[in-house]
Amino acid sequence: MPAGGHRLYWSQILFFMHLSRLIAALALTAAIASPADLTPQRQDLNVKSFEYAWKTIRDRYWGTMPVDWQQVHDELLPKVENAKTMPEARAAMIEMIDRLKLTHFNIIPSEVYDTLGDAVHPGKGGIGEPGFDVRVLENQAIVTEVENGSPAAAAGIKPGWRLVKVSETEVAPIIKKVGDAYKDKTTRELYLSRSILARFRGGAGDKVAAEFLNGQNQAVNIDVVLKEPRGHESTFGFLPTQYVWFESRKIGNTGYVRFNMFMDPARISSLFGDAVESCEKCDGFIIDLRGNPGGLGAMSMGMAGWFIDRPNQELGVMKMKGNELKFVVTPRADTFKGPLAILVDGDTGSTAEIFAEGLKDLGRARVFGTRSAGAALPSLFERLPNGDGFQYAIANYISADGKPLEGIGVIPDVEVKLTRQALLDGDHPVVDAAVKWIAQQRSGK
Amino acid sequence: MKRNRWIYISCAVMAATIGAGTAAADEPLPKAETIMDRFVEVTGGKAAYEKRTSIIETSAMELVGKGVSGTATHWGDTSNNSYESGEIQGVGKVDDGVYNGVAWENSAIMGPRVKSGEERADAIRDSMFNGTLYWRKLYPKVETAGIEKVGDEDCYKVVATPTDGKPVTMYFSEKSGLMLKETRTLVSPMGEIPAETLLEDYKPFDGVLEPTKREQSLMGQQMVVTVTDIKVNAEIPKDRFQPPPEIQKLLQKAAAPAPPAADKK
Repeated sequence: MPAGGHRLYWSQILFFMHLSRLIAALALTAAIASPADLTPQRQDLNVKSFEYAWKTIRDRYWGTMPVDWQQVHDELLPKVENAKTMPEARAAMIEMIDRLKLTHFNIIPSEVYDTLGDAVHPGKGGIGEPGFDVRVLENQAIVTEVENGSPAAAAGIKPGWRLVKVSETEVAPIIKKVGDAYKDKTTRELYLSRSILARFRGGAGDKVAAEFLNGQNQAVNIDVVLKEPRGHESTFGFLPTQYVWFESRKIGNTGYVRFNMFMDPARISSLFGDAVESCEKCDGFIIDLRGNPGGLGAMSMGMAGWFIDRPNQELGVMKMKGNELKFVVTPRADTFKGPLAILVDGDTGSTAEIFAEGLKDLGRARVFGTRSAGAALPSLFERLPNGDGFQYAIANYISADGKPLEGIGVIPDVEVKLTRQALLDGDHPVVDAAVKWIAQQRSGK
Repeated sequence: MKRNRWIYISCAVMAATIGAGTAAADEPLPKAETIMDRFVEVTGGKAAYEKRTSIIETSAMELVGKGVSGTATHWGDTSNNSYESGEIQGVGKVDDGVYNGVAWENSAIMGPRVKSGEERADAIRDSMFNGTLYWRKLYPKVETAGIEKVGDEDCYKVVATPTDGKPVTMYFSEKSGLMLKETRTLVSPMGEIPAETLLEDYKPFDGVLEPTKREQSLMGQQMVVTVTDIKVNAEIPKDRFQPPPEIQKLLQKAAAPAPPAADKK
């Protein structure tokens, strides 16, 4: 009753994160922590951090815990108490959350958290990007895309090239090791590609030696010059700075959009809306979510509103301890009514999965590509007393058809796999399949 | 006018007397109406409220432990229209308002939305200017449900039921008569979410005490809202309460006649 605004602030319910890329990226960088001996004060902070993380998970877990959580506590607390170094203490905390065998639970070393969170990252460990993307296709690391205007493009790297070595390290054993570790997991593809791209670490301008096999299977050695990240800086809370980009174009008379994350809503939601509105008379619309790891979960509801005319349509439900939150689409005044295709792959995660599966379940979109990462738990980030970051899931996500996405992922209506040969030939089989389907819908065939 | 003032001063004295000290366990609880009226008095009294014709409140928010912060401005006046405009780091604009019975929300995350049902009723109730003074219009039924502690203070627990919507539970300090806590169920298409607000640091603004710190909790997240300024009776342009174009477009669409059946897919 007191005067003034407070209704607005209830919008905090929209701030849950569904972001899968960080899971992989942070897991792969967790080993860089300082091995220096711990002071008694630091040991105390580690114990406090362990207890805080343990209690938070106990209190926020949405269902029956998959392990005896008290036993996990009693077994691992002594390891934290007796740890002589930060990596030892952290390993015990990571072991605690690993016992859950779920995505979106992470202990993030403060060194990584701080470094990733800075806006400027000169030198090693910085934000430089190689300017190309990689997927593991038939157990080979294949370049799937090269960014226009990047040093990689200038060096002649082409889609379809096979990456053989990075910094004198053979790629094949990495693929074997990571592939075996995530065998039978829906996150396998995500971890594989991230584990390879993580080798191209450094600041913009740094060089990373790499050996490729070109289209003729000839070895080509290139010093890959790392570039500034593509996109605009975006910060949200204690999350590391993210770089968010958006592109839209027409393929014939079909609209096509792609963006790398569901973040920076002020910019991305606006660009997305502009792209849909400018395509009112398009034959169809394609949303390419391959490689999109998610972000702010609630953005899926706003974006889906450009394609759903009816009110009260749900993409799914976030089930928390003692509560649930429906992901209800907010229809726009002018929606796009033509055929809608969504493209996914193993690097599509979290919010991107919620968006794709929700629209698929509602019968509004047809999904093309390969199975997504199945990593869709809503999570929060906090800083622990010892300075480390702590990510924890607070809910399960059930799609409109009543099935969880975690560990299952989005299974495309039409499975289309990338092949090295198609990439070398300059083909885009997944996009082509979507365009063909849209044309069929328009012609009524 | 003078007479009225005396009446209200008398009421204030009576109310303050009722609330003084801690009620013994076997003492009957004061009527909820008395507690609510006392709140009006201890925060300034009817005359002070009635002098207010508009409010512009600015505030800062922080999502506790998450590093998310933002600012907001709220405009409200005797038309009972209101407009809140927030800017949240990493999210962008989040606006909310009530205009001539239309309750709406527009955010960079979710897009524009017109509220309906209980959610609309809640928004319209929140938008009533000087709602504290006019609590009888907002809540036809109020009941004292007991005494509970809020922090260290014993508080009367009052359950206030609106005509349209879910009951709101308010906690008034036995000692000071100030409202220290409110619990309610937030209703939206996303579901029903229990929410709690602690009201702290009351400060006077043109003769009316307002809480300048609000700690809101829902779904395990805490948000601290700190009021940085309240301007009373500042001029608010007439068009301030107009919903943004995105909302107006939705309203136009809702008002437009349905297309002929043959055009429907």
